[in-house]
Amino acid sequence: MKQYVVYTCFVLALFWACRKSGGDNRPAAPTPYQVELPANFPAPVYDFAQNPTTVEGVALGRRLFYDPRLSRDSSISCGFCHQQFAAFAHFDHSLSHGIDNRNGIRSVPSLFNLIWQKDFMWDGGVNHLDIQPLTPITDENEMGEDLQRLIDRLNADKKYRSLFDGAFGPGEINSQKLFRALSQFMVTMNSFHSKYDSVKQQKAQFTPDEAGGYAIFQAKCAACHKEPLFTDGSFRNNGLPWNEFLNDAGRMRITNSSDDLLKFRVPSLRNIIKSPPYMHDGRFYDIFKVFEHYSKGIEQTPTIDPIVKNGIPLSTEEQRQLYLFLTTLTDYTFINSKSLSEILIDN
Amino acid sequence: MKPCFFLFTCLVFCIACKKDIIPKKEGNFRLNFDHKIGTAALKLGTTVYKNPSAEDFTISAFKYYISNVYLVKMDNSVQALPATYHLVDESKADSKSILLLAPQGEYRAIGFKLGVDSTRNVSGAQTDALDPALGMFWSWNSGYIMVKMEGASPLSTAANHMLTFHIGGFKGPFNAVQDIRIQTPISITVGPDREPAVTFTVDANAMFGQPNPVSFATSATIHAPGEAAWKISENYKTMFRITNVTDL
Repeated sequence: MKQYVVYTCFVLALFWACRKSGGDNRPAAPTPYQVELPANFPAPVYDFAQNPTTVEGVALGRRLFYDPRLSRDSSISCGFCHQQFAAFAHFDHSLSHGIDNRNGIRSVPSLFNLIWQKDFMWDGGVNHLDIQPLTPITDENEMGEDLQRLIDRLNADKKYRSLFDGAFGPGEINSQKLFRALSQFMVTMNSFHSKYDSVKQQKAQFTPDEAGGYAIFQAKCAACHKEPLFTDGSFRNNGLPWNEFLNDAGRMRITNSSDDLLKFRVPSLRNIIKSPPYMHDGRFYDIFKVFEHYSKGIEQTPTIDPIVKNGIPLSTEEQRQLYLFLTTLTDYTFINSKSLSEILIDN
Repeated sequence: MKPCFFLFTCLVFCIACKKDIIPKKEGNFRLNFDHKIGTAALKLGTTVYKNPSAEDFTISAFKYYISNVYLVKMDNSVQALPATYHLVDESKADSKSILLLAPQGEYRAIGFKLGVDSTRNVSGAQTDALDPALGMFWSWNSGYIMVKMEGASPLSTAANHMLTFHIGGFKGPFNAVQDIRIQTPISITVGPDREPAVTFTVDANAMFGQPNPVSFATSATIHAPGEAAWKISENYKTMFRITNVTDL
């Protein structure tokens, strides 16, 4: 009997020796959040393993996204320019707006399917979703805030301290946690429930006009606006006449290569009808102006893309059908999603 | 199995799981950085220096990244160390002395990257020395500023005669990260109860010297990656000299 007591003691000692130190009073771990992904899309570029989504993290990211206190004078949130009903573009605004009535030199891009994007901004200058918000937060023409000041402000805010503790475990808020929280919300902004998607899954049918538009799209647009994301992620000069007021070199600014002069990101056509105005400088308020541009507005410059060099002729009837096809790319589930909608920050 | 043998086994397990008891096979060593302009001590503020083109200037900020430090053993094989990142900043005394951990042994040379390796430039939000809040990260064209020097020169045509040299870039032909490897004049021995220290004298004027001399009259501002930044990096790779070693 004495032997058994000794054995038991040793076995208990074994457990004691192998215990994790200091793990007793930790708050409950955050609840994992599974991001829904469509079966017919390629594998995401975003590495979820580096920033696993949690219910708390996504909720915190959403709050940050809609909190104007991220800007220097507390007037502008991310959601100020990225409006859900416009697929998170800035409806009816050609150039981005910022604090102190400032303007940027480019239009606000729509936000969705960011996890399939390998770089960001119209010129692709930002190489990771997590650090994308650094640009608008610190740009003097956008939110104009100093990153360290913002981190200090968040650390001084009891509500944010507890929300960050809940999402990332206890500890000081740093910029990595801020960016990862914002990413956790942004990776839930995915759009793949349009009528087009239903047709692809054989749950709906195109009307004859939409089907006609789809055929025109496949023949004349799909080389750059590649399905299913409706962009190939490349940078191209699509022959827009030079805007001397903005004097924007495009991707050349990032690569320093004159081969990239006037090249800009090929944007996705998903939700396109909901997110005017169009082009990197928002010069076209009507999608039919875009059709006209490709039809007969191409300006010849040395870096012009071979695909558009000779124009893409579109008859009036083709334009009408193409428009009707593009409307099938509007994802009402996405632009009406309650989990993405603006929240009022009152404390 | 005999009971006492079983008990002994249990005891061994208990000890094995107590991490602290594992004997240390590592020791510390220290890297110190002493900033100069030519032979004069670098002082931020109003002290007037001359660049290699004999142009007057003052310095208000001088900082750079040291990363991926490694040691070279006596047989010339490389002893890699866990990748660490350090922002050496003239305005912060603490930052000019770095304590590192290495396996015990005798070493003849030290190497590091002057700058931040490409991996950390493309891996999203980082912390500590790599926190973008430190102002050493370009937001509009993702990547770290490897070396930052700011000041003023009467010859500068920029606003307020400012000098702005934000040198970075990690891609393609214009990679501003420089691999530095310098032999120590005497070997250093890392071991328990020892803390050998190597002092680098860092001549900030090297940025403006050979092989790509800079005149502030024509070049006072670089704040983007590219050829101009890379040319400065070709200059600053000769910025470091070992001027003192204490092998104690």
